Amino acid sequence: MKKFLMTLAAMLLACGAFAQKVVPENITIKTLDGRAVQTSVIQNEGKPIIISFWATWCKPCNKELDAIKEVYEEWQEETGVKLVAISIDDARSSSRVKPWVNGRGWEYEVYLDANQDFKRAMNVGDVPHLFLLNGKGEVVYEHTSYVDGSEEELFELVKKVAEGQPLE
Amino acid sequence: MKKRYFLLALLMGFTLSTQAQGLLGGQVTGNIQLDGQISRADSIIGASDVLEWLLMNARADILYTNGNFSAGLRFEAYQNPMLGFNALYRGQGIANYFVKYGGEKITITAGNYYEQFGSGMILRAYEDRYLGLDNSLMGFNIQYRPIDGITLKALAGKQRFYWSYGEGLVRGIDAEVSLNSIIKPWADARTRVTLGAGFVSKYEADEVIASSVSGYKLDLPLNVGAGSFRLDLTRGGWDLKAEYAMKSQDPNAMNDFIYREGSALFLSGTYSQKGFSANVQAKRVENMGFKSVRSQSGEMLYINYIPAITKTQTYAFLTMYPYATQNTGEMGLQGDLMYKIKKETFLGGKYGTDIHLNASLITGLDTTYVGGRGTEGYTSSYFGLGDTYYADASIEVGKKLSSKSKLVCTYGYQIFNPIVEGHAGALHHNHILVADYTYKINRKNVIRFEAEWMGSDSQYDAEVDDKRAGDWIMALVEYNFASHFFLSLSDQYAYKDGVGNYYNISFGYTHNATRMQLGYGKQREGLLCIGGVCRQVPASNGLTFTLTTSF
Repeated sequence: MKKFLMTLAAMLLACGAFAQKVVPENITIKTLDGRAVQTSVIQNEGKPIIISFWATWCKPCNKELDAIKEVYEEWQEETGVKLVAISIDDARSSSRVKPWVNGRGWEYEVYLDANQDFKRAMNVGDVPHLFLLNGKGEVVYEHTSYVDGSEEELFELVKKVAEGQPLE
Repeated sequence: MKKRYFLLALLMGFTLSTQAQGLLGGQVTGNIQLDGQISRADSIIGASDVLEWLLMNARADILYTNGNFSAGLRFEAYQNPMLGFNALYRGQGIANYFVKYGGEKITITAGNYYEQFGSGMILRAYEDRYLGLDNSLMGFNIQYRPIDGITLKALAGKQRFYWSYGEGLVRGIDAEVSLNSIIKPWADARTRVTLGAGFVSKYEADEVIASSVSGYKLDLPLNVGAGSFRLDLTRGGWDLKAEYAMKSQDPNAMNDFIYREGSALFLSGTYSQKGFSANVQAKRVENMGFKSVRSQSGEMLYINYIPAITKTQTYAFLTMYPYATQNTGEMGLQGDLMYKIKKETFLGGKYGTDIHLNASLITGLDTTYVGGRGTEGYTSSYFGLGDTYYADASIEVGKKLSSKSKLVCTYGYQIFNPIVEGHAGALHHNHILVADYTYKINRKNVIRFEAEWMGSDSQYDAEVDDKRAGDWIMALVEYNFASHFFLSLSDQYAYKDGVGNYYNISFGYTHNATRMQLGYGKQREGLLCIGGVCRQVPASNGLTFTLTTSF
């Protein structure tokens, strides 16, 4: 069994190394007015996208989205980036998401992932966890955790991606 | 044996796709998580005697995706399970595997899957890795979306029970319709309406369960059904949600084998606009504990999920006495208000001020005893209130003081009835104060201070042995430096009428999606937000380490 697992893992890693991670298209998430949509709605006409997994009960998540809110307009003007916030709140708090988003004045595209299908498909463990996608929809960067000020580093990456530069 | 064939098929699938790399594409992603404890036994924090000096939980998810096709498996190892995790987890192996086709109109999953109908009042298969919960169903799940706005689901399976599956067979169907999508003239209407309905049936073979009359056994229903209706109505900033569920006679270990039917009602009304929101929720739950194995009363095998409507708190003392839903019966009311005082006003200052008010009240039902096991159990009045289970009120004021600093102050009041944790006793009344101050030294260095106080009328009693009793103070310093590192020091001390002292030092490193953390000290179980992430942690005493990565 062990040998089998090791072989499997090695094989998967080997073929994984060549593949560029993309966002799966056919996962059901919900809009804030309760409509089921597929993840293929996450689009930005060839410009970068930030996908941020968060929850109302997660302080660092809220700090991050509040901090980006202050500069979001500038970011959009400069790079055309769009932020898509995916709430992983479950039934306990998912009905609080819409008032939360409005109350805090966030201008992001927000979806609910109450059963965490999208979270699992993106291999997200702890929140906050964000992904930066280039114009082709490929994941070029991902990051977990937030401390005050790390949005500035994120923006440096967004600018590079918007100009089509590699990140390494 | 079956499992082995399945894995072989998976392997073949992977091999084929590996060879086809570049032709068909496809990607492999995954995540690995490892948590360990080197513990000392300590009765002070409720960490019981530990036979093994090293406890470790590990898991790895591997997911292969190729266009509409995906397959995944999860390896789990508990050698031995950490504190707070059931000993039945001991062992290792492949705990979860599936193949899935997800097209534009149809999604089919075979193997383990997670699913939820509406808010989950009749069905929710989910996992919470930090709480050791996994109710995943093993079987088939089909989702069909014939036209935009209609989602139909059908499923059948058995539920995971640690390293095996429960005997009960769960089958369910659900439909959800967004009226604006299917009624053309409503397409652009401001009012958005979504309707849903679901039905779940559980089948379990007969068994002998003694009746309260000696010499007789209970006549058990082999099929138990549960149904629900739901409505979601939105117009501009207004939002109304309603869901009603009922369940047929389901004598089980949670309700002590009574034959009363179950019901649950959930209502939520919201108004919000930029900078202001108000939300009111009400619920009534009666005899809704629904498991796929009737004789089980533990944490696993729940088919449904009835959430608590109290606010999820994150500060240590506010979360010390958490409320847990009483599936057997409760009434609850909750209100939430958020307001942002505008910039450049007297109270708002240069950056504005955030105010958040929250209050809730949860009581038992007003019931009249009819009889024990094998009878209807009790009768209840629909709007009558029973004993107070829990009440709380809190106000949080957040203010950015300068471009570098922010202060959040919170006051909370709680009434807690120990009966919700299964012990009779006097109500606890707690007052809690929290101050949370963040200072950004420069772009790469941030320091955060947190001070908390809790005054409680509870006193430590060796017989009850509740380590949370008494009056508490807490201090925490968290220093995030050089972008990637953090160091945190904290101490919680019961300075009056209590026995607890929880000191902790933690160090962590984060790079992209990889995170490592090392801690030493005593840790109470609960939601912990340090080092820029939030996670549920188990009780520990000694050294703890964590590694998470995703690729």
